[in-house]
Amino acid sequence: MTTDVMISASGLTKQFGSVRALDNVTFDVARGEVVGFLGPNGAGKSTTMRVLTCFIAPTAGSATVHGFDVFEDPLAVRRSIGYLPQRAPLYGDMSVQEYLLFAAQVRGMDEGQFKSRLNKVIEVCGLAQTLTKQISHLSHGYRQRVGLGQALIHDPPILILDEPTSDLDPNEKAEVLRYIKDIGQNRTILLSTHNLAEVEDSCARAIIVSKGRVVADGALDEIRSTTGNVRYVITVDEQSAEGTHRPPSAIELQKALESLKGARGLRELPTDEKAHRFELSGSHESDLRAELFRLMVQKGWTLLELRRDAQSLDAVFRELTRGDEELDRGRPVIDDDDDDANADGDADSAEDSDDKE
Amino acid sequence: MSPMMIIAKREFRSYFGSPLAYVVICLTFLLLGLAIFWVGGFWKVDRASMHLLFQYMPVALAVLIVPVVTMRSMAEEKRSGTLEMLITLPVKDSDVILGKYLGALGLVLMVVLATALYPLAMFWAPWNLGPLDMGPVWSGYIGLVLFSGTAVAIGLLASSLTDSQAVAFFITFFVLVVLWFMGTLAEHVEKAWLADALTYMSFQSRLEGFSRGLIDTRDVVFFLSAMALALVTSFRALERRRWV
Repeated sequence: MTTDVMISASGLTKQFGSVRALDNVTFDVARGEVVGFLGPNGAGKSTTMRVLTCFIAPTAGSATVHGFDVFEDPLAVRRSIGYLPQRAPLYGDMSVQEYLLFAAQVRGMDEGQFKSRLNKVIEVCGLAQTLTKQISHLSHGYRQRVGLGQALIHDPPILILDEPTSDLDPNEKAEVLRYIKDIGQNRTILLSTHNLAEVEDSCARAIIVSKGRVVADGALDEIRSTTGNVRYVITVDEQSAEGTHRPPSAIELQKALESLKGARGLRELPTDEKAHRFELSGSHESDLRAELFRLMVQKGWTLLELRRDAQSLDAVFRELTRGDEELDRGRPVIDDDDDDANADGDADSAEDSDDKE
Repeated sequence: MSPMMIIAKREFRSYFGSPLAYVVICLTFLLLGLAIFWVGGFWKVDRASMHLLFQYMPVALAVLIVPVVTMRSMAEEKRSGTLEMLITLPVKDSDVILGKYLGALGLVLMVVLATALYPLAMFWAPWNLGPLDMGPVWSGYIGLVLFSGTAVAIGLLASSLTDSQAVAFFITFFVLVVLWFMGTLAEHVEKAWLADALTYMSFQSRLEGFSRGLIDTRDVVFFLSAMALALVTSFRALERRRWV
């Protein structure tokens, strides 16, 4: 139903000098959806959000928010959204309560409306202790909460949050995500991040952008299966074996695994057990587990672990945004020719650098 | 209250959140006192006149008060990113510019009006140095208010062109000082048309009449149009962010 489309971007293009920050970005967000907007630094996440909040105008394309056109009715668009820009820029010379009152007054709320909303916002954002403190004295986590608070003060149907969890410590991050989950129950939320774990936790759908283009858009499971690969993790004991058989060396095991039909991208994983641990990937349709088991029985090796899972979102993300690394200032190009995940740690490493398109 | 007035109020209050406003006010009174009673020789002139106040106050506004007060208004918002937060509230760009303008003008006018303590203290109570001709005082203040309005608009324009407070300060300082001393400069220019043009644009010659008790419509219109021009240009400078 068209009335249920809360955010609609069609063909958004933004040219900064010779740099094309957005290239034909098109997507819709329906009522009640919490959508993760993902991409590496400089992929165009913030630019898209700035267009949607009418802070900048696109070079081409159009967008509507809550049914209002960003060109024709920017004030109506801004009235229906709560927006948290990256890094939550707030006036440091005001106290938390003063700031929230300022945001409420500019939005045309009267004293009574403000008071009743304030209690809600304090509760949801956990601001009770800091209400009278000056913003410049707050930690980054609390500033982020105040930023979230001002975005919620008028009870908007749509929230646009630009990296609400960057620069937070893991505890703060978890808390902010919990808030987002709470408030997302009856709102439409577009949330940008380059931390994939967050999306898995709080969003049902993700849009992945890379170099200004949408490279994937859909439910997380769908996106996960786009590359059509599954991965297997195998751990084999390196000390004991069945009967008269010798336990395998790493090379023997590797050769045996390579000989399997349909196995690709074999690589050894580190382990602190006295065992060899390998990872390999196979296509979505076939199942290598039976063959792996037979191989172990035939050789008389002791299989300690055999696991098959869908590719992690991390790996999909890296695959989809490959080539973007050159754009990331100061970050070395990741030489990763496997199409699978190595660890979750990688999502965090990108967070230090700032995301300015 | 309209968004414009809410922004203006916030802006005005924010000046008192830092020592800036207090330092400017104290420094102004200190320097103005020195200028009137020491450099200007108020006692030697021996006349019941506030002419010296209207001679020195615009200089204080041009070199100190206005550049310091307006330097952060837009520049700091851009540097710290709060501009994005402000603009994405349901406010028009013109609300932002006019709100900032009124906030800064409010502080400057407060300082200007506070100088009325001089004539009050000297010619009314506790001292009564003689009968003061009130005409030039009134017109002098009207001149100061008009000049402040124009100077703050120019300062706001400088601040919206850069995201560095220091750069904004020096642009405002430079422009105001040049526009102020253009009249003096004109005396040393040989070409008559150039001298006329410089005198025509000089703030000093425009304010001359006000301090003598003469309110000329041409001067009023000059200040009002300079003010409007600077404000419209600031508005354009803010709007430009959307397209580049």
